[in-house]
Amino acid sequence: MTVEPGSRITAKHGPAGVTQALNVNVLPGFHVNSNKPKDEFLIPLKLTWDAGPLEAGAITYPQAEDIKVGKDVLAVFTGSFTIQTHFRVRDSAAHGPAVMTGKLRYQACNNEMCFRPASIDIRLPVEIE
Amino acid sequence: MFFTRSKVAVAVALGSIALFSACSNSQSVRASAKAQKDRKPAPNFTLSDANGKSVSLAEYKGKVVLLNFWATWCGPCSLEIPWFKEFEQQYKSQGFAVLGVSMDDDGWQAVKPYIAEHKINYRVLLGNDSVSQLYGGLDALPTTFIIDRDGNIAYPPHIGLVGKNEYLSEIQGLLGDKPASAALDSLRPPSAALVVPTTK
Repeated sequence: MTVEPGSRITAKHGPAGVTQALNVNVLPGFHVNSNKPKDEFLIPLKLTWDAGPLEAGAITYPQAEDIKVGKDVLAVFTGSFTIQTHFRVRDSAAHGPAVMTGKLRYQACNNEMCFRPASIDIRLPVEIE
Repeated sequence: MFFTRSKVAVAVALGSIALFSACSNSQSVRASAKAQKDRKPAPNFTLSDANGKSVSLAEYKGKVVLLNFWATWCGPCSLEIPWFKEFEQQYKSQGFAVLGVSMDDDGWQAVKPYIAEHKINYRVLLGNDSVSQLYGGLDALPTTFIIDRDGNIAYPPHIGLVGKNEYLSEIQGLLGDKPASAALDSLRPPSAALVVPTTK
């Protein structure tokens, strides 16, 4: 598993926000559960952000794809997809460079096997104006 | 206010490609049972079952055991479970047992409802990292070992989903075998212990 460092985003104090897109790539032949799997026992994809100079608001996941594994239909993500987070600058945030950190938790499988749940650390450089 | 959009590229490489290739190959070309002299003991462990009772693998010596590492979140694992229930029911009386070891991080909170919902009829234990290390790390599930009556691993491990008939042929093959200790016994003269040399 690899994580490419993101390019810096620029955000300004005020009521508006900034939308940041996290691009995720899953190897061909594999899938990860969507953020809303159909079975209660399955582990959803989940992006979380730690407290920082930006306040994470709505997180938008893509439309899941239904695939059939045995008799079950699973809601999954495959290939390349994007997760968007809407941020607002906290009033207390100081001007200048900062970093937002987060985690992307996922659980991956193919049609024959599954891998144990894992997390990717996300590091997002931010410039606050 | 002006903000710029940015993208953070994340590549979910999903572990080792080499591992995947190895797994695929192991399923397409099935190895036959190892010769008894080449079999290695299945590492022993002691874990708790759903009732809180400690269970050791060593207690199963004398039985053919299908040792299945699985998890509630593993789709391919759930495809195999009905087969294992059937095997348990069909071969239990012949000295066979299925032993499931769940690798769920959420513990019994996740596993007990799953056992109830799927009406699992064989013993399930809760695994941990120590057991995982004993069995090669268990990066992928399901991973299943077929253990002979002497407590030795009789076949290369099944990593990933395997056909029902493959399991059946392995189980049936081992159920027909006598344990090595019994085989040695059969080579001894039946009344050897009773032969007392006499002197005149």
